[in-house]
Amino acid sequence: MKKISRRAMLAGTAGLFAMPRLSRAQGAKPRLTVISQWSAGSDGAAITALGKKFEEKGGTWQHSPVPGFTTEMMNKLRAQIMAGDPPACSQLKGPEIAAWSKIAATVNLDALVAAAGYEKVVAPDLARLHKPGGKWISLPLQIYSTNMLFLSKRAMDKAKADGIPVTWAEFNALAEKMKAGGVAYPIANGGTRPDDGQKFEAALAGISPAAYRTAIMNLDDKALQAPELKAAFAQVRKIADWMDPNTAAQHYSINLQRFIAGDMGMMIQGGWAQGVLLNGGFKLDEFIIAPGPSDNRHPVFLLNADAFIFWQRKEPDLQAGQTLMAQLVMDPAIQTMYSQITGSIPVRTDVDLAGAGWSDGQRRTAAALKEAVAANQAVLSLAHNMAQENGMTAAMIDVLTEYVKNKAITPEQAVARLGNAVEGAR
Amino acid sequence: MREMTFTPSRIFIYLIVTLIAAAYLVPLLVVALNSLRTAEEIAQTSMIGWPRHWAWGNYVVAWGDFCIAQTCAGLRPYMLNSALVTIPATIVSTMLGSIAGYAVSLWRFRGDRWIYGVVALGIFLPQQMRLLPWTVVLRDLGLTNTLTGLVMIHSIQGLSFTTMFCRNYYLAIPQELIRAARIDGAGFYRIFWRIVLPLSPPILIVTVIWQFTHIWNEFLYGVTFTTGQQQPVTAALIALSASVADIPQHGVQSAAVLIAALPTLLVYLFGGKYFVRGLTAGAVK
Amino acid sequence: MSEAAPAPAPTDRRRLAADLGRLPELLTIWVPLLLSAGHITSFALWTIWVSFTPSTLVPVSGWVGLRNYTAMMATRNWQIALDNLLVFGSGFVLLSVLTGLLLAILLDQRIRGENLLRSIFLYPLAVSFVVTGTVWSWLLNPGIGIQKLITGLGWASFRFDWLIDRDMAIWTIVIAAVWQSSGFAMALFLAGLRSVDGDLVKAAQIDGAGPVRLYGRVILPTLWPITVTVVVIQLQFAITTFDLVRALTGGGPGIATQLPALVVYDFMFQRGLIARGAAAAVLMLLILLAVLLPYAAWRYLQNRQSVHA
Repeated sequence: MKKISRRAMLAGTAGLFAMPRLSRAQGAKPRLTVISQWSAGSDGAAITALGKKFEEKGGTWQHSPVPGFTTEMMNKLRAQIMAGDPPACSQLKGPEIAAWSKIAATVNLDALVAAAGYEKVVAPDLARLHKPGGKWISLPLQIYSTNMLFLSKRAMDKAKADGIPVTWAEFNALAEKMKAGGVAYPIANGGTRPDDGQKFEAALAGISPAAYRTAIMNLDDKALQAPELKAAFAQVRKIADWMDPNTAAQHYSINLQRFIAGDMGMMIQGGWAQGVLLNGGFKLDEFIIAPGPSDNRHPVFLLNADAFIFWQRKEPDLQAGQTLMAQLVMDPAIQTMYSQITGSIPVRTDVDLAGAGWSDGQRRTAAALKEAVAANQAVLSLAHNMAQENGMTAAMIDVLTEYVKNKAITPEQAVARLGNAVEGAR
Repeated sequence: MREMTFTPSRIFIYLIVTLIAAAYLVPLLVVALNSLRTAEEIAQTSMIGWPRHWAWGNYVVAWGDFCIAQTCAGLRPYMLNSALVTIPATIVSTMLGSIAGYAVSLWRFRGDRWIYGVVALGIFLPQQMRLLPWTVVLRDLGLTNTLTGLVMIHSIQGLSFTTMFCRNYYLAIPQELIRAARIDGAGFYRIFWRIVLPLSPPILIVTVIWQFTHIWNEFLYGVTFTTGQQQPVTAALIALSASVADIPQHGVQSAAVLIAALPTLLVYLFGGKYFVRGLTAGAVK
Repeated sequence: MSEAAPAPAPTDRRRLAADLGRLPELLTIWVPLLLSAGHITSFALWTIWVSFTPSTLVPVSGWVGLRNYTAMMATRNWQIALDNLLVFGSGFVLLSVLTGLLLAILLDQRIRGENLLRSIFLYPLAVSFVVTGTVWSWLLNPGIGIQKLITGLGWASFRFDWLIDRDMAIWTIVIAAVWQSSGFAMALFLAGLRSVDGDLVKAAQIDGAGPVRLYGRVILPTLWPITVTVVVIQLQFAITTFDLVRALTGGGPGIATQLPALVVYDFMFQRGLIARGAAAAVLMLLILLAVLLPYAAWRYLQNRQSVHA
C-alpha cells in the first residue's frame, strides 16, 4: 500500500470533503486496496469472486481481510485512517457510514450512480443511509432479512400444524401446539447479542412497523414509551421461555441438529441461516422458510445490507480502481453472482430471481422485500447496526440481552430500561 | 530431602495427583478429539465427542489448504510470520531486560527505584489502552503495517516483565561481589559480562519462555498492525472461525489450534524443567 | 539492598572525563529503561487526556470535563464490571495461589513421573486465552459438557450450569483462569520449596515434627516472598484478563460477566466511543493504584526499618 506522507491526524467534525471526482484516470491501470471482515466461508468466497471479476477487467485486486468480526475490521480501518493511509475501499454499513465519513474524506459517487441509474433500483430507506449529506459515498451490495421464519418439517408434523403462521398470534399458537406435540423446545434461536436483538426487533416490527420506525429508528422519546414496546417485550418473553435454557450465550448453530430432528420447532433468523443449514449437511426439504410474523397483512422486512465505502486517495491508479469497483458493485450480473454465493438477495430491485442458482428461500425473501417496501414496512435492523450507530445499538442491546436472560425483568421494567439506555447513550 | 516409604498416604498422594492431572488434560483431549472430527459430524452430534470417522484430513487442510479470502495456503505462511515477530522480540526484550534488571538491582544509580517502579507498573497497563497510542507512534515512525513495528511494540512492552524477572533474580547476588569488582576497577560492562551474565541462564530461560508464549499467543496487536499476508498465526486462527453464513468449522479449527500451539507447547515441554530451576535460585521478591 | 560504597571525590577535570567515558554505559542503562518507562507514562497520560475529550471514532481535541466519567460510572456495564472484578479478582487470586501451592507440595513429595506431571500442570500456560475460553465454554455448557457427562453416567439430578446462571457465571471464568495460570504459581512455589534450607527441615524432623507441622511451621513461612510474587503476577492476570472472558462468556449471560478490561474494549472499539472507553481505562488504573500504592508504601516502610535496624 502506498502511503500518503502527510502526518496530520484527521480529527474533528470537519464536513464532508467529498469532491467531484473526474475520471482522469485514463491510462492508469486500476488498482484497489480493500479492507473487509470477510475472510472465511461463503463471505470469503464471494468477495474473492468479486476480486476475480475485478482482475478480469484488468485491475489489480489487493484485498486484506481482517480476521474477526466487524469490530476488528473497524479497528484496522481506524488504524489505517489515523496513519493517513485509508484503503481505497472498505466494507461498512448502516449509520456508521455517516459517522465515519466525518473523520476522513470520501469520494463523491453521484456521477457514477447517475450513469448506472442505481438510485432508481434501491429501496429509499436504504439509499438514504449511503448518501449522508445528500451525496452518494458508498454503495450497498447485498441485502439480508433478519426476521425470516424457519420451521422444522418434523416439528410441524409433531404439532399437526395447519399451515405456516403469519401473525404473532398464529406463531404463538403453533408454538403451543408444538409443545403439546412433544417438541421439547419450540424455539431454536441462539443467545448471542445480535440474536437477542433480532428477537426483539422481529417482535416489535411485526406488531407495528410504524412504532418500530419512530421508536427504534428515530429514537422518539414518546414512541419509546408506546404500548407496542411493552407488547413486543411480552412477545420476546414468550419466545425466551420456549428456548432451551442451556443455549445461554451461544450461537444458534448448536441447535441446528435438534431443529432438523424435530426436537426444536422454529427459528427467527436472518436469511443467511439457510446457507448455514445447507453447509451443515442438512437438506432443503427438511425445513421451510417464510417471512417473519407480521400483524399487518403485509410482510415486515428488517433490512441488513452490506456496503462498500470509498475513501479519497490521490493516486490515479487507485482512483481508476474505485471507478471500476463502483461499476462492478452496481452491476446486476455481479450482484447476482455475489448473492448466489452468500445466500443473500441483491440490492437491485430489478433483478429477476426466477432463474436457476436461486433458492426458494431467496425468492421468498425478495418477494417479501418487494411487498414490504410497497406497504412501507421495510425497516432497518437494530441488531445488525443498521438502525443506529454502534454505540447506541450496543446500549440498547445491553437492555435486550439482559431482559432475555433474566426472567425477573418485567416488560414494563424493560421499557423503562430501554428508555434510560437511549438517554444515556445520546 | 524428605524420603517416604510406600505408605497409604503415599498412595493417596498419587491418587490425588493423577486425578488433578487428568482434569488438566481434559481440555487438551477435547480439542485433540475435535481435530479429528468433521464439521458436519460436530454440527449433527455435539461439541464434545468421540470421532465417528477419523478426519486426519483436517490437519492437511489446516496446515496448507484452508482459505483466508483469496489466499489458500493454510497456516503455513502465518506460522512463519509469527516466528519472525516472536523470536526477535523475545531475544531483544530478554537482552535489554537483563541489562536493565542488572542496572537497577546491582549497579544502582540515582532514581533507580523510581524508574524501576514505573517500568514494573507497566505490567498492569491493559492492552486496549495502548492500542491507539501505538497506532500514532507507528505512524510517526513510518512503521505501520510492518513486522518490524510489531517486533518493536512487543520488545518495548516485554521490557516490563523481563526487567522485573531479572531484577528480582539478580537481587540474590551478593553486593560484596559487585563491590569487590568495582574496587578492582571493573566497570559496568565488565561486571555484567564476567559476573552477572554467567549466573543468568536460569532466569533468562524463564523470561524467554514467558515472552515467547505471550508474544506467540497475542492477537490484538497482531491483527491491528499487520495486513494480509503478514498476519501472525493467531489472526489466521480467528479468520478460520469468523463467518456468518457457515457452520463454524470446528474440526479444522481444532486441528489448526493444535498446530499453532505446537511451538509453545514444545517450549514448555522441554523448558519446563529449566523454568522451575530458573525460579529456584535466589529470593524471587 | 544497600547502596555501593561512595568513591573518593575527584577533581573537576577528571570528573568530566570520567563522566564522558561513562556515556555508553549511561546510554545502555537509560535507553531501555526510558523507552519502557517513557511509553508507559506517555500512554497513560495520553489516555487520561483522551478521557476528557469528546472523542468518538477517532481521538479529537476538546474538553468535556468529567462527562465521560459520570456517563461511564452510570452504566450498568461498569457497575457490574466493578462487582465482578472484586469477586473474580479475589476468588481467582486466592484459588490459583492455593492450587499452585497444593500442586507444588504434591510434586515436592519425590513422586515418580514428576517431570511428566510438571509438564501437565504447566502446559495450559502455553495455550492462548482464546482457545482456553472456547474449550471451557464447551466443557461448562450444561447441554454438552460436564453436566451432560455426569447425568449420562446415571446421576440424573446433577447440575453444573453455572455458565448460564447470571449469578454464578463469573465463577466459570475463575475455573478456566485457575486452570490456565495455576501452573505458573506451582512453578514458583516448587522453586521455593526446593530452596528451603535442608538443615532446618532435618532439624524439625529430628524433633519429631509430622508432615503437617513440618509444612505449617517450617516450610511454608519461608515461602512468604514467593507468595507475594505469585499474588502480583496473578493480580496482573486478573486485572488485564480480556481474551479469556470474551471467548468463554462474551461478557454474558446478558452482561453478567462484564469486567473492566472488556468494558474498555467494548466502549473504545466496538461502540466507537473512545473517550468513554478511555475514562473507563483511567478508572481501572485508579483502582489498580488504590491496591498497589498501600503495598508499595508498606514495602518502603519495611525497607527503611530493615536499614535502620
